[in-house]
Amino acid sequence: MPSADTNLTLQKAAESAVGFALKAGAKEADALVESGAQFRVDVLQGEVENLKQAQTRGLGLRVFVDKRTALVYTSDFRENAIKDIATRAVELAKKAQADEAAGLPATPPAMAADAAGLKTYDPAVAALTAEQKIDWARSVEKAALAYDPRIKRTDGCSLQSGVGETWYASSAGKSLTYRNTGIGGFINPLADDGDKQQSGGYGEFQSHLEALSTPEAIGKEAGKRAIDKIGARGVPTQKVPVILHPDIAGNWIQNLFNAFSGEQAFKKVSYLTEKLGQPIASDLVTLIDDGILPGGVGTAPFDGEGGATQKNLLIDKGVMKMFAYNAYWGRRAGARSTGNATRGYQNAPGIGPRNLYIANGASTPEQILASVDRGFWMVDSGAFGYNATTGAYSYQAAGFWIEKGKVAFPVAEITVASTTLDMLKSVVMVGNDLRYNGNVNSPTLKIAEMTISGRQAAG
Amino acid sequence: MHVHGSFQHRGPALGACSISRRDFMRGSLAVGAGVAVSRLALDTWAPVLAQAAQAELPPVTRFLTPDQVAELLKLAQSKGAPFAEIYGEYTINTNFVLDENELRQAQYGVLSGVGVRVIDGDAVGYAYADEFGMDGLREAARVAAAIARGKPGGTPRAFAATKAKAPFVLVRPAPLTASEGEKIDLCRRGNEAARTRDPRIKQVQVIMADTSKAILVANSDGVWAEDRQFISRLAVVPTAIDGSNRQGGMAMAGGAVEADYFDKVRTPEQTAHEASDTAIALLTAVDAKAGSYPVIINHGWGGVLVHECFGHSLEGDGIRKKTSIREKQLNQKVCSDIVDIYDDSTVPNARGSFKVDDEGTPSQKSHVVEKGVLKGYLWDRLNADLTGNTSTANGRRNSYRDFPIPRMTNTYIAGGTSKPAEMIASIKNGLFCKNLGGGSVNPADGMFSFVVSEAYLIEDGKITSAVKGATLTGNAADAMLRIEGLGDDLAIDTKTGTCGKDGQWKPVGVGQPTVMFSEMTVGGTRA
Repeated sequence: MPSADTNLTLQKAAESAVGFALKAGAKEADALVESGAQFRVDVLQGEVENLKQAQTRGLGLRVFVDKRTALVYTSDFRENAIKDIATRAVELAKKAQADEAAGLPATPPAMAADAAGLKTYDPAVAALTAEQKIDWARSVEKAALAYDPRIKRTDGCSLQSGVGETWYASSAGKSLTYRNTGIGGFINPLADDGDKQQSGGYGEFQSHLEALSTPEAIGKEAGKRAIDKIGARGVPTQKVPVILHPDIAGNWIQNLFNAFSGEQAFKKVSYLTEKLGQPIASDLVTLIDDGILPGGVGTAPFDGEGGATQKNLLIDKGVMKMFAYNAYWGRRAGARSTGNATRGYQNAPGIGPRNLYIANGASTPEQILASVDRGFWMVDSGAFGYNATTGAYSYQAAGFWIEKGKVAFPVAEITVASTTLDMLKSVVMVGNDLRYNGNVNSPTLKIAEMTISGRQAAG
Repeated sequence: MHVHGSFQHRGPALGACSISRRDFMRGSLAVGAGVAVSRLALDTWAPVLAQAAQAELPPVTRFLTPDQVAELLKLAQSKGAPFAEIYGEYTINTNFVLDENELRQAQYGVLSGVGVRVIDGDAVGYAYADEFGMDGLREAARVAAAIARGKPGGTPRAFAATKAKAPFVLVRPAPLTASEGEKIDLCRRGNEAARTRDPRIKQVQVIMADTSKAILVANSDGVWAEDRQFISRLAVVPTAIDGSNRQGGMAMAGGAVEADYFDKVRTPEQTAHEASDTAIALLTAVDAKAGSYPVIINHGWGGVLVHECFGHSLEGDGIRKKTSIREKQLNQKVCSDIVDIYDDSTVPNARGSFKVDDEGTPSQKSHVVEKGVLKGYLWDRLNADLTGNTSTANGRRNSYRDFPIPRMTNTYIAGGTSKPAEMIASIKNGLFCKNLGGGSVNPADGMFSFVVSEAYLIEDGKITSAVKGATLTGNAADAMLRIEGLGDDLAIDTKTGTCGKDGQWKPVGVGQPTVMFSEMTVGGTRA
C-alpha cells in the first residue's frame, strides 16, 4: 500500500482524480494526464551549444455538477494533492452557472478503429541516445556548410525530440491511453551575398525516425535555400499568377482551419458561416483533416475528451462539407463532435486540426512552373499577414520570378496579397508533391492571380 | 515552418513542438492556466466568486533555503563546470474570458519549479523540475551538470543579496489586489461598452489575464537576487457584422499597474470604444493600394516597428554568432541622424520592466543608437562573457523551463521635434497607420513585415478613407535610413507586446513618437 505522499502512476492518477471528484459530489468528470521526456540540443560549429532535458507531467481534471463545470490542474501526483484539487473543483463547479450544453461527450470514451495501426509511437525515436542526437545535429550543420563555399556560417542546428504518454479517464467509461514520439531538427544557414547575407531556414518534424530525411538531405536543402536567394531583388507592383510552395500553402491552410471551427461558425464570426454545402473553392481543392493518418505528427487514437478521432473531409472537390466540433460546441450547434477537441492538461478543450492537408492533385511541380508565362513563385514569407475575421491575405514574400515557364531571378522585398475566398476559387493547378512534415501540409498550388506590391514603379 | 500567433490552442501537445527560429511578435494574449469555472452569467458572478480568497504571492525562499540552493549549485558544478545557476519561480496566473455576454471561463493556476543551468565554456546544460522537492532538484542538477568536460571542483561563492533597486514598486499591484469580482467587472464593462458603441457590433470577447511572478536567481558567482513581477492585461475583441461583411477590432489596457489603473488611467470603456471603432471603421474601408509610397506610423504601439526592424538584430546571440546584419555595424550610421533608440527595463509600469533580469542582473537603460549611430548591443550573461562584453540586463526566459537568451525589454525611438499634424499635412499621397498588428523579422537578412490593423489614406495632406488589408514590408538595413520625421509625441506602449523567440514568450514594451518614412512598400490587393 503506497503511503499518501507517494506519487501515483499516470493511470492511477487519472482514475483517482475522477473517483475523488465523483465522491465529492460531481455527476460527471474526466481527467487528462500528459507526461513526456523532452530533449533539445543545439549544435554550433560542431560543438554542443545547449543541451536541455526534462521529464514533465501534468493532470487536468474537469468536473460537472448538474451542468455546472470547473477545471483544475496540477503537476503534483501525490494522492492527497489529487484528492485536494478534486474536492476544490467540485466546490468551484457548484458555484458556476448551469449550462445545458455542458457535459461529457454523448458517446462513451472510445479509441479510433484500428488504434494499433496509427503508429503514434516509434521505439527507434525513444531509443536514440543523446550522443546519437548530437551527432545527427552535427551532420545537418556539416551538410549545410558543405553545400556551397558561400555558406560561411549557420546559427546552429537545433534538434528536439519527445517521448510522451497520455491517459484519459472518465466517469462515462473505460480509461484510454496512447504513447507518442516526435523528433525534428531545424537549421538556418547564411550565405554571403555581397554586403548582404541570405538565410535559408529548413526543418522537419516527424513522429517516426524513418520518416525524417537524412541529416545530410536536411542540411543540403537548407543550404540550397540560402544560396538560391543570392541576388534577390524587388519587382514592380502588378497582378500575376502565383505559385505557392508547399510551405507557404501549408501556412495558409493552417490559418484557414480556424474558419472551419464550429465555435466560430456558431457565433457567426467565421467568414465561412453561410457557406456550408456550397462550392467555396475550385473543384481541384480537397481539404482533409485526418486524426487517424498512420504515423502523422497530429495523429492520436482519441481527442482531448476521449472522442474517437476520425478522418474529416472539410472541402470535397471545392464544396464545403462540414465544420469541426468538440463536444460542447457540437451540442450548441446541434452537431456531433468530430474528434477535434484539442486539450492540454491546463486547458479546457478547444477545437483544432489533427493532420490537416490538401489532397494531391495531378500536376508535377515542374508542370506547374512550366505553365506560368510570367509570374511569381512564393517560397518564403513573414510570420503574419492573415486576417482571421475576413480571410484577407497579405504577406511579405520571397521567392523567384518566372518568365516563360522558367526561373528568371530570385525576388525579395515584395508582398503578395489576395483574400482567402478568392484564392480558394482561383486554384488552377494542384501539385502531386504532398509530403507530410509536421501536422499541416499541402502540395504546390498555383493561384490564377494575386497582387504583388514592390518598390519599383510598374512598367 | 513558422510559428503562428493565435488565440487558439492548435494541434497536439507534443507534436506541436515548434522548430522555427524566426523571431516575431504578437499583440495577442498570453495563455492562462489553471482552476477554471466555465459559464457564469454576469448578473450572478458576485455571490459565486465572493468567497475567493485574496491571493498571496509567496517568495521562492519559502520553498527553497539558501543552504539547499548552495547544495544544488555544488552538485551542478560537480562535473567541473566553472558556472552554475539556480532559477526558482512561483507564478500565479488568472484568466477570465467573457464571451457571448457570459463569463465563459475563470481560471486560476500556479506554475512553479526550478531550472538548473550549467555553463562550461560556450556549452550550456539545462534541466528543470516542476517542483521544489529536493529529490527532483538534485536529479535536475545532475542532468545539467553532465555538460561539463572540465576537472571536478568549482566551489560556489558565498551568496551576496543583490543591491539592485526596483525602478518602481507597485503599492497595490492589480493582479493581487483586485478581487476576482472586480476583474470580472472590468470584463463586463468592456463588453457592454463595446456592444453599445454601435449596433453592428455583434460579438465581443473580453479577456482579463494577469500574472504575479516571484523569482529567485542564485549562481556560483555569489549572485542572490529576488524579484516580484506583476502584469495585467485587459483585451477587448469585438466583431462587427454587416450582412456578410465582417471586421474585427482589438484594444488592450494594462501593464505593470496598480489596482486603480483601470479607473484612473485607462478604463475598460476607453479600451472597448477604441476596439469597436476600429471594427466599425473597417466595415467601410477601401482595399489597400499596393506599391511604395510615404507612410506615417502612429506613436506608441507603432514602436513594434523598431522592435522588429532594429531590436532583434542587436541581440547578443546573433552578434556573437555573426548571424545578425548588425554584427559589423558598431559605430556606423544605421539610421537617419534624427534617430535615438533605447532599450530600457526601468520604464514605469511597462510590461518589459523589472528589478533584475532572469539572470539576476539589475535593470538598466541602454542607449543603443545615438543620432543614427549604432552604439551598443543587447547582452545576456553568456553571450557577453564569450565576447568580452558585460550583460546589459537582457537575459530573459519564459519560465524556469527555459534557459535565458538575450531579449529586448522596452525598446523605443526617442521623441523628435516635428508636429504630427504638420507631418501628415506634408504628404500628398500616403498611408497613416493608426494601429499595427503583429510583426516579424529575420535578423539574418533584415526582411521585416507588419500587419496594419487600422489605417487611413492621406490625400493632399488630409486623413481620409479607412484602409484595410495593408501590410508593411522592407529591409531593416535601409528602412531605418528612410525615417524623415519624428514627432514630439513620444509614447511608450506598456500594455500590449508579447515577443516570441525560439519558442519563448516574453512581455515587452515598445514605443516611438509619430514616425514618417519617405517611402515604404505597402502590400494590398489594389494594384
